[in-house]
Amino acid sequence: MHVHYRLQQPLPLDAKLQLDGFTVLHGVSGSGKTSLLRAIAGLLPGHGEPWGGWPVQHRPVGYLPQGCALFPHLRVWQNVAFALDGSRLQRRSRAMQLLDELGLAGLADRWPRQISGGQLQRVALARALARQPQLLLLDEPTSALDPVTRDDVIDELLIGIRRSGVPALVASHDPHLATLADSVALLADGQVIQQGSPAEVFRRPVNVAAAQLLGISNIHPATVLGRHGALVELDCGGLRLRASPPTELGRDSEVRVAIAAEAIDVEPVRNGGPMTLVRRRREGLCQRLWLRSAAGVTMQALLPPLARNDWQLGDMLQISVPPEHVHLFARNARGAIPSAGRAPMQTTAAGMPRPA
Amino acid sequence: MAKASWVYWIGALALVVLVLPFAGLLVSTPWLRMHFQPGDVAAISVSVLYTLLALIIVVVFGTPLAWWLARCQFRGKVLIDALTLLPLLAPPLAMGLLLAMVFGPYGWLGEPLRRLGLELTNTPQAFVLAQVYGAAPYYIVTARSAFEGVPRELEQMALTLGRGPWQSFWRVTFPLAGLGLASGLALAWVRAMGEFGIVLIVAYFPQGIPVKLWTNLQDSGLDAVYPLLWLFFVVALPLPLALGLLSRRQPVY
Repeated sequence: MHVHYRLQQPLPLDAKLQLDGFTVLHGVSGSGKTSLLRAIAGLLPGHGEPWGGWPVQHRPVGYLPQGCALFPHLRVWQNVAFALDGSRLQRRSRAMQLLDELGLAGLADRWPRQISGGQLQRVALARALARQPQLLLLDEPTSALDPVTRDDVIDELLIGIRRSGVPALVASHDPHLATLADSVALLADGQVIQQGSPAEVFRRPVNVAAAQLLGISNIHPATVLGRHGALVELDCGGLRLRASPPTELGRDSEVRVAIAAEAIDVEPVRNGGPMTLVRRRREGLCQRLWLRSAAGVTMQALLPPLARNDWQLGDMLQISVPPEHVHLFARNARGAIPSAGRAPMQTTAAGMPRPA
Repeated sequence: MAKASWVYWIGALALVVLVLPFAGLLVSTPWLRMHFQPGDVAAISVSVLYTLLALIIVVVFGTPLAWWLARCQFRGKVLIDALTLLPLLAPPLAMGLLLAMVFGPYGWLGEPLRRLGLELTNTPQAFVLAQVYGAAPYYIVTARSAFEGVPRELEQMALTLGRGPWQSFWRVTFPLAGLGLASGLALAWVRAMGEFGIVLIVAYFPQGIPVKLWTNLQDSGLDAVYPLLWLFFVVALPLPLALGLLSRRQPVY
């Protein structure tokens, strides 16, 4: 399904998207994710396809707002039956069937305030599916979830959505949810700046804004020193890095590099120069290191659970980055290298960040 | 808790003071000598019948206005807010005089209406008119805040689930605002039933309970008001008491 919506209020937006399966609309807070969803549902004035200009109640969408908005005066099964017509008995049996498919049959006679956040979401999903929508719209489904059960809840929600066969557009600023999607669309500056499978998008963000959205924390200016086969060698504040450029880059080209903290390993080898450990922090079983080069460039490295962890502040270390994880961008405002496209490089490693 | 005990004492005192007049009625009623005055029973049927009629008018016209005030935002809404508060703030006697100026036999609206056959002085129509003016502002203010308490998001959800605006109102807005609407109705009932100031000026006849109490007192003295007073409470209080208790109760959901 192709979606193209334009709106002026509450912020200017012109978003084009291709929806297949489970599509995550990824953007920072205030980037207009919710507004786009509401415009598609007809709750905000906007122009576009599909269903542009239709009254809300005639649009075949299932909208799950943040917090789910179940009707507090109706029991769970009555919420699900809200969109159904027919006798009470028919509505009840259809609602029970929908609840059963999502593993919620036991909650049918509860009130919404008596069930958990994850259950609320699946009830809201059942309620939305009852009207047989052609598109599901979910707004920040992970925002109100208990961190302990979050992954299970997302898993169950995804299973429910996939089983229903209805395409879903999910607004989220949670990069973890983006990694689970069939397709990720990055929303920034009022438009979709990149869309593709998570592997594609994480492997090759199209510009600096996309890289920032994906949580890539190390973004620095660099200069091309020369070629090494398919790779180019860069100088980044005194650090020597190798990268696979998306296009031909001449010597002395001014670029920016973006490297995910997860892609950096701290080793006394190869790619990179001597750096000083200036700060360290434990993040669960992982550890995050801040390393500064002699020229003042700071790189964050997120080391996996089993990595060596006896580094001391002030230690002189070297970093190594697989070349396919060094993203190159032009230094102009939008940060995209012209005609970069999505030309696959020689990469063999998965483009996704290493699981933390 | 001990520190706050004086709060309970003050609260208890307030309660005693509030109930005192009713206890006084119980004590001072001359139970054995009590008998109705001529016209007392008629006054009861006038009050009940016309109050019901006034209430229907208040609900039919007041509910859409309350909903509009709760849901619509526009420039100059403050002015509309002020206009709806005016009848609420006007003292009843003053309100009665205003109505007489407009709807009275020589009023600028009353005279043409009279020629059309609608007499709005000392008629049942005038009685209902006075009650409507007395009760409507209370209903509208209460109903408005009841509607404002319904999250807009829930109404929008009803729309996205394929229900039209009318069905959304009946299936979501109305049930969720129901308790507030009920207490608005209770207030309106009490105001209409007990309305004295406006009624006295606009519709001295037909006599409902409040005016009849006043004439009994004038004509025959204090002893003549007891039977009607008791009947007034018996007739007027059950509805608002039931609605009030209902709206005080925590909803089940």
